[in-house]
Amino acid sequence: MGWWDVADLWYGGFGSVKSGIEEEWDGSWDGKWDEIGLNFVAPRSGDAIFASVERVNSELFTLTYGAIVRQLLTDLEEVEEVNKQLDQMGYNIGVRLVDEFLAKSNVSRCVDFKETTEVIAKVGFKMFLGVTASVTNWDADGTSCSLILEDNPLVDFVELPDTCQGLYYCNIISGVIRGALEMVSMKTEVSWVRDMLRGDDVFELHVKLLKQVPEEYPYKDDE
Amino acid sequence: MVREVAESCVESLLTEIVSQYCNGFYANKPDLAARRIEAIGYQVGHQLSERYTMERPRFSDHLEAIKFICKDFWSELFKKQIDNLKTNHRGTFVLQDNKFRWLSRVSVAPSSENTGSIQDPSAMAESKEAQATGMYLYFPCGIIRGALSNLGIPCAVSADISNLPACSFVIRIKA
Amino acid sequence: MIVCVAVVGHQNNPLYIQSFTEADDALKLHHIVHCSLDVVDERVNNPKRSGPTLNETFLGLLYPTENYKVYGYLTNTKVKFILVTTDLDVRDADVRNFFRRFHSAYVDAVSNPFHVPGKKITSRTFAERVSGIVKSFGLSSAG
Repeated sequence: MGWWDVADLWYGGFGSVKSGIEEEWDGSWDGKWDEIGLNFVAPRSGDAIFASVERVNSELFTLTYGAIVRQLLTDLEEVEEVNKQLDQMGYNIGVRLVDEFLAKSNVSRCVDFKETTEVIAKVGFKMFLGVTASVTNWDADGTSCSLILEDNPLVDFVELPDTCQGLYYCNIISGVIRGALEMVSMKTEVSWVRDMLRGDDVFELHVKLLKQVPEEYPYKDDE
Repeated sequence: MVREVAESCVESLLTEIVSQYCNGFYANKPDLAARRIEAIGYQVGHQLSERYTMERPRFSDHLEAIKFICKDFWSELFKKQIDNLKTNHRGTFVLQDNKFRWLSRVSVAPSSENTGSIQDPSAMAESKEAQATGMYLYFPCGIIRGALSNLGIPCAVSADISNLPACSFVIRIKA
Repeated sequence: MIVCVAVVGHQNNPLYIQSFTEADDALKLHHIVHCSLDVVDERVNNPKRSGPTLNETFLGLLYPTENYKVYGYLTNTKVKFILVTTDLDVRDADVRNFFRRFHSAYVDAVSNPFHVPGKKITSRTFAERVSGIVKSFGLSSAG
């Protein structure tokens, strides 16, 4: 009886069923049909997702962030404390946003650090901020790299006063990345290398993988 | 082309400032936390009114400015206008948004199963969630006050959510 | 040629004033700007006199002196812009175009989160944009 197994379909593709088998089998089959499921849902591009999410005028976002930074400077006084606070707020946001990100992007959980940072740069940044980042400067063992951001809606209209030279104005972004990566089991250290508010030509974030917790055993310590 | 970001960016910031100011810095001083959140909104409103009035003639009276807040200004922020405007002709205006976006998205419908079902306002009033909601509202109140005061109209703004998901902003112009 | 531009707050406090002349006549120009503020107030408080330009941000020619023409603009937020030029034959469209671009630069400057409302505008970006707008004055046609 002419029957082929699933493997043939995969290796040969749909159009290359052997002719001899076709002649022998008329296509009837009284047994059970099983759905194989062509689960080929491709990850969506950043542009496509950004076009589909609810969007707002970026001015509201930019000015709100600016007002928060200024209020924090008034309340915390020390620039260093403000940097920490922005990073913490970003971390909390990253932890929360990761689910929305995975759901809307069809990105299956990335296992590889390299792949993950690419997805953050190309899809993550686009989906939330409407801009893309690029990834460069990989080290030899693939555990650290740079995210380059040439356009950043957070800093529209912003000029740092001389009294705030130690301020990492965009520190919320590094926190978001750290938080989001931690939710996919990658513990990282994220720091600023270049900052357009300090006269550099781009924003550059250095992302270093400290430890990757294997996803299969997330509760290992508890057992 | 108008530059845009995902709405969840703004919501994330709102959630964070409310949680930082209410649970962090001023955990035991909700009035101070409220004042800070209002101040952040005030600065935003002040700046936005400068931007959004750029291409238009000056307002000749208070009502014209209030109408601007209800129409153009609200549309820029929420892609809809205020649904109802009332006044007592003694300097108080009530602006009602029948489905205030920041309430429906930010706090009242969290990721729980409640999404889609009608919230019971009386139950809400008792919950901690209602307190958090109240805190969120200091932000849009600050925005309105900042915008109007930059247009030369000093006022006090409060919010009323006894009629969820509608939200009314009450503007009292200082004589 | 534009010789001076100024931004003045609603309590007639100077927020930005910049002259563009080689000569040492800054003091004289500041005086001209100062005098023009009264004319702005008068125009706004007696709108009948400004006729068709009722409530328009562009206030037109405030007053001519022997050597200068002084134009004014009042934003919705009660901030005054003053323009002093030595050109005696100025097209209205050019002045309107100037104020439109100047207003846009001003709005971006006060959108800086570190700018304090009512305080002087110290932004370098603003100064650069203003000098660009001043240089191109009259070059572009109505727009």
